[in-house]
Amino acid sequence: MTTRLTPLALSITTVGAWGLVLAVFSGRAELVVVVVPVLLALLVTARAPATPDWSIAHAISSARVFEGERVMVTVTVVAGEPVALLELFEPLPSGLRVVSGHNRGLFTLARGQRVEWKYEVECVRRGRVSLGTMHARCWDRAGLHAGETAMCAPWQLRVYPSVLPLRRLPGPRRTQSSVGNYVAPAVGEGIEPGDIRAFVPGDRIRHVNWRASLRFRRLFVTQYHLERNADVILMLDTLAEAGAAPDTTVDASIRAAAALATAYLARKDRVGLIEYCGPFRWVRPDSGRAHHERLLEALLRADVMFSYVTQEVALVPRRVLPPQALVIAISPLLDARFEKAVVDLAARGFDVAVLSPSPIPLVRRARRASTSVDLACRLWTLERTARAEALRRLGIAIVEWDPAEPLQAALVGLTGARRRRAAAR
Amino acid sequence: MLACALVGYPLLIAPATSVLTLGVVALALCGLGVLLGMPLVVGGAVVALGEYALALWLAGSPPRLVGAALFGVGVTVLLQTADFGWRARRATLGPGVVASQIRYWALFGAVAGATALVAIGVASAASASVRVPWAPALATVGAALALVAVAFAVRRPER
Repeated sequence: MTTRLTPLALSITTVGAWGLVLAVFSGRAELVVVVVPVLLALLVTARAPATPDWSIAHAISSARVFEGERVMVTVTVVAGEPVALLELFEPLPSGLRVVSGHNRGLFTLARGQRVEWKYEVECVRRGRVSLGTMHARCWDRAGLHAGETAMCAPWQLRVYPSVLPLRRLPGPRRTQSSVGNYVAPAVGEGIEPGDIRAFVPGDRIRHVNWRASLRFRRLFVTQYHLERNADVILMLDTLAEAGAAPDTTVDASIRAAAALATAYLARKDRVGLIEYCGPFRWVRPDSGRAHHERLLEALLRADVMFSYVTQEVALVPRRVLPPQALVIAISPLLDARFEKAVVDLAARGFDVAVLSPSPIPLVRRARRASTSVDLACRLWTLERTARAEALRRLGIAIVEWDPAEPLQAALVGLTGARRRRAAAR
Repeated sequence: MLACALVGYPLLIAPATSVLTLGVVALALCGLGVLLGMPLVVGGAVVALGEYALALWLAGSPPRLVGAALFGVGVTVLLQTADFGWRARRATLGPGVVASQIRYWALFGAVAGATALVAIGVASAASASVRVPWAPALATVGAALALVAVAFAVRRPER
């Protein structure tokens, strides 16, 4: 522990010296008497402070939360020896915000006393938060002398991106062979009734259509449409970002990816993730709850990373990017390398749709309104429109999404754009 | 309240415009210090001490030593409470923190007041029995020695 005199000790010394100077110059005894308590206060600090002896333990209400959720942090302080005044401070990263209580506390502890201190934080940004360095300052009662130390009681919090509810999703152009929620034109095992045909030996009795059989006096069976799933690949652009945390384009893209992954997995589709940050990082397409966790974990560490490496999309293995997959590219289109990758995918016959979280409203919100900012944003809008048109001319459906607006509205626009594109073909 | 009492006491000794002006300045500094920071409170205490010295100089009355002792206790406690207030700002206060601080300040006030009174008694007895030549020079040297002694007493190597 590092001990030191506080600024208050210097202040009191100054006041005492000032009193003595006044006493000497005015020749009044009262001013000397005034200084006596001041000097006494300073002399009290000359006593050797007791060796501090306390311990700290942390507990949090939940170690895994989503953005916007709150976590209660409980700090337990146990004193081995009496502590006159103990100040504890736990600095928080920018992704956490104190909403109730304080992350600084002052305590007076008797021997063996146990004190619980609670405060609640709101998780405003996704990520892995490692905390636990508690700065402690042990004051004497007069506040003239303080000993400082830092204690470590580590705790980790995982803040997953918030999952926005989605009801309608862009449908895939092609389905896979596994069972899912898409009704296929082919007949087979399913629950969606298709056609009726005459019974042949080998048909199941439970497929017999009794109403038709009674009307025509011979057995008929109902055929059902196959129900298939699809492979959906979410391609995330983390080459560049714009806006101020926690509302950057990467944050918006990751929230959209989490929402899409959750919604597609709920429809029994296989969902994969490709993060393009120069090199590729990916999660192979799969389905199920465990895979949902895998995707959220991958999104947790997704961030803009500087790299000299720029890989070609052709390097992505086939098992990660299946040929029949629907590829939803989520990109603010700030980096030409991602556009090139999208064009490359479309040229290779992939069903590609681009969801573009617009950086313009994010940047506009982060900056003070001015004529120059307004003009720059208008020029930027024109440039983005031109780039989007260039992609549309190449047959790629693209929709712009203002992250302040509901994602569902943008996805409806994307579905419409894909439908128009398919009709044009 | 403590600042008002400290500023008001010199006005009782010498109700003059100059004393009032210094008192208002001291009070304003203390008030701003509560909002803005401790240096302003220290400035307020320094001005209040100047106001007190001015009031004593203007009044030219016989020494009021008990009042002076209380004034000294008031100045010290004012600085300590203001500093504690700043430390306690935006912090969770544990059980019994404020109560124990108030107990400490009350005890400190009583001990400091008693010490000052004892010092007054000793000094009065000494001055009545011994007449020292060059008293102002000795007082100056004594004041300087007191400050140096305090500085040595509080100076402690960092660990």
